[in-house]
Amino acid sequence: MNDTLLISIVTFIYFFAAFVFLVSIIFHKRSVGKWALTLVAAGVALQTSAIILRWIHSYQLGIGHAPLSNFYESLVFFSWSIIFVYLIMRKRYRNDLFGVLSSFFAFLILAYVSLSGDVNCTIQPLIPALQSNWLISHVISSFLAYACFAIAFGTSILYLLKIKVKVTMLPDALFLDEVTYKMISIGFVLLTLGFMTGAAWADRAWGRYWGWDPKETWSLITWLIYGAFLHAHLARGWRGVKMSLVAIIGFIAVIFTYLGVNYVLAGLHSYL
Amino acid sequence: MITFMIKKLQTVFSSIRLTIFLFLSLAATSVLGTVIQQGLPMERYKAFYSPGVFSALKFFNVFDMYHSWWFTTLLVLLAVNIIVCTFKQIPRLVRLISPAKKEIDDTVFRSSQIRKTFQSQQKLSDLERQSELLIKSLVGVPVKTVRNGATYFSAEQGRYSRLGMIFVHISILLILIGGLLGILLGFNGQMNIVEGEKSGTVTLFGGTGPKELGFDVRCDNFTVEFYETGMPKEYKTDLTILENEKEVASGVMKVNHPFLYKGLKFCQATYGIAGGSGFLIGVRNGKTGEETVLRPNLMKKVPLPDGSAFFAIARFVNDLEGMGPAVLGVLLEPGEKHDIFWVFQNGRNSNQQQRGGFTFTLKDFNRLYYTGIQVSKDPGVFLVWIGFCLIIVGFILNLFFSHKRIWVRIAGEQGPYECSIAASASKNRKPFEEKLEQLFREITLE
Repeated sequence: MNDTLLISIVTFIYFFAAFVFLVSIIFHKRSVGKWALTLVAAGVALQTSAIILRWIHSYQLGIGHAPLSNFYESLVFFSWSIIFVYLIMRKRYRNDLFGVLSSFFAFLILAYVSLSGDVNCTIQPLIPALQSNWLISHVISSFLAYACFAIAFGTSILYLLKIKVKVTMLPDALFLDEVTYKMISIGFVLLTLGFMTGAAWADRAWGRYWGWDPKETWSLITWLIYGAFLHAHLARGWRGVKMSLVAIIGFIAVIFTYLGVNYVLAGLHSYL
Repeated sequence: MITFMIKKLQTVFSSIRLTIFLFLSLAATSVLGTVIQQGLPMERYKAFYSPGVFSALKFFNVFDMYHSWWFTTLLVLLAVNIIVCTFKQIPRLVRLISPAKKEIDDTVFRSSQIRKTFQSQQKLSDLERQSELLIKSLVGVPVKTVRNGATYFSAEQGRYSRLGMIFVHISILLILIGGLLGILLGFNGQMNIVEGEKSGTVTLFGGTGPKELGFDVRCDNFTVEFYETGMPKEYKTDLTILENEKEVASGVMKVNHPFLYKGLKFCQATYGIAGGSGFLIGVRNGKTGEETVLRPNLMKKVPLPDGSAFFAIARFVNDLEGMGPAVLGVLLEPGEKHDIFWVFQNGRNSNQQQRGGFTFTLKDFNRLYYTGIQVSKDPGVFLVWIGFCLIIVGFILNLFFSHKRIWVRIAGEQGPYECSIAASASKNRKPFEEKLEQLFREITLE
C-alpha cells in the first residue's frame, strides 16, 4: 500500500467529515455529529498509518528517517496536527463547529498537497544537517503550535462573524473568545518549545543557538505577536474584536514563517 | 524632583503597555532585516541603493540591524521592563505563596471570586462533617479553627504554581543576558582547511576581519559519503589541535557532532574540493581501439602509447561550467603547435576529446578536499540553557497547576447557623466553580 494513496483517501474523508459536521450544526442533530466524529477518527487513524508506512518504507529504501523532513511530509504532518489538537480540545470545548473548522483546514492542506503539483512526494534521503535527534522534537512542537494557531485563527474569524455579521447560529461570542485565548496560550508554549529544540539543534549544527536567519527571525516575529496578545489579554483585559484581529495577524505571520520564508526569502531552512 | 522622576520612570517601566509596545516594535523592525539581506559586503548595497537611501540605511545600521544601537536599545528596554515588573510582583507573590495565616480573615467571605452564604437548620456536627467532606473532595485536607464562636475550615493547594509566571519572565531575562554575553565576549566565524594542512585563523562573520586562535587546527583527513542520488550523506573531518607545533588534542568532527576545545566549538559546516592529484587519463587509439591508461602528474609530460607525442596536464578544475571535474590537457607533437583542450570524465561530456587519432578521458583522480569549519565561542550559552529549562518549569507550573483555596465559616450560637463558603482558583475558574456547585448539591442533599 502506497502512503501517498492513503493520504489522498484521507483528504476526501476530512472533506466529508467537515460536511457532515456542518449538517449536524445546521439541523441541530447531535447524532449526525457523532458520525462526523467517527469519520474524523477514521481519517486520523488512516493518516497515522500512512505516516508510519512512509517511515517504514524509508527504511526499506535504506535512507530511513522520520517522515518529517521535506515540504510534503511537513504538510501532511501539519494537517495531522490540526486534527490531533482538535481531538484533544474537544474534551473541554465540545462544539461541532470546531470539528468543521479543523477537518476543513486539514482537508485544505492535503488538497493543496495533491493539487498544487509542485509538492514533491517522493521519499528523499536526509541531508547531513537534518540528521539529528532534535529533528523530531523540533518539528512536532513547531507544528502542534501551528495547529493551535490555525484553530485560534478559525475561532477568531467565527467571533468576527458572530459580532460583526451577526450570524446567529454561531456559539456564544464569549465562548469563542475564550477558545481563541486558550488555543493561543497553548500554541505559545509549544512554539517556545519549538524555539528551544531548534536552538539546541542549531547550536550543535552551526555552533550558535540563534543566527537571525529569516526563518528564525520570522518565528520570533510570530512569537512576539502572540506574546503581545497574551500580555494584552491577561494584564490589560483586552478582549473581543481587537484580540481576534491580533489572532488573525498572528496566523498570517505563522503562514509566512512556514511558507513565505521558503518562497520569498532565502535561508538555512530553505529545504522545507 | 528626582524622586518624582524616579516614580515616573517606575510607572513607565512597570507598565504592560510598554511590554506590548516593545514586543510589537521588535516584531515590526525584525521584518526589515529579513527583507534586506544582512551582513553582505558594503559594495553590494552601494550598487543596489541610490546614494541617499544608502547613507540613510547605513546610518541606522540596517545592513546589520540586529546588532544596531537602536535594536539593542529596544532589547535593553525590554530587559528593564521585565526587571521592574518582576520586582513589582514580588510583594504580592510573597503574600500568595507564604503559608496561610492561622487566623482566617473574614474579608475572604466578601471578596473572593466564588462566594456563597446560606442559613441551615441542621446540627452543627452535621454541618462540620459536610464542610470537611466538601473541602476534602474539592481541594484537600481542611484545617479547623474556632474563633469568636464561629467554626472555620480552610484548605489550600498548588500555592507554588503562582511562581510559574515569574519563572518564565526571569528565564527570558537570563536568555537576554546570555545573548548579550555572547555578543560581548564571544565570536563566530569560519575557517577552511585543506586536507593535511593547518590554520590558526578564523574569518569572522559580519566582516570584522580575521581572528587568531592562538593555536593551530590541522585537518588530518576529510571523508564524504554520498547517496546514490549524488547528495552528500555524511561528511566528517579528523582534526588535530597543535599548541606551539605540539599535538595536544585530536578528534572527529561531523555534521551535528561538533568538536570542542578550550571552550571553542568546531562545527562541520561545509566542504569543497581544493584540488586533484593522481590523475588517470584513458587514451584510446582511434585505429586499433586499444585503450591505455596514462598517469601524468600536473605539469609533467608523459609519452603516448605509440610514442608519437607527449601528453601533460596543465590545470585541474573541480567543476567546469557545470560539466563536472576536468583537466586541461596539452598534446605535444614534435614539429606541431601545442594542442590545448579540456578532458572530462567519462559520460560527462558527449564529444570526448579526439586529438591526433586518440580519444582522451579523465578516468579517475584523487580529490583533495578542504573542510569548512564554523568556529564559535559563546560564554553566555549556559545562561540561555538555564533560561530554557526554567521556562519549561514555569510553563508547567502555569499550565498544569492551579492555586486553589477554600474557606468555610459556620457562625451562630445555636441553629439556625449561618454558613459561608468562599473559594478561589488561579486558573480554570469555571470548571472549579462548577465542581464546587456539584459537590455542594450532592453533600447538602444527601
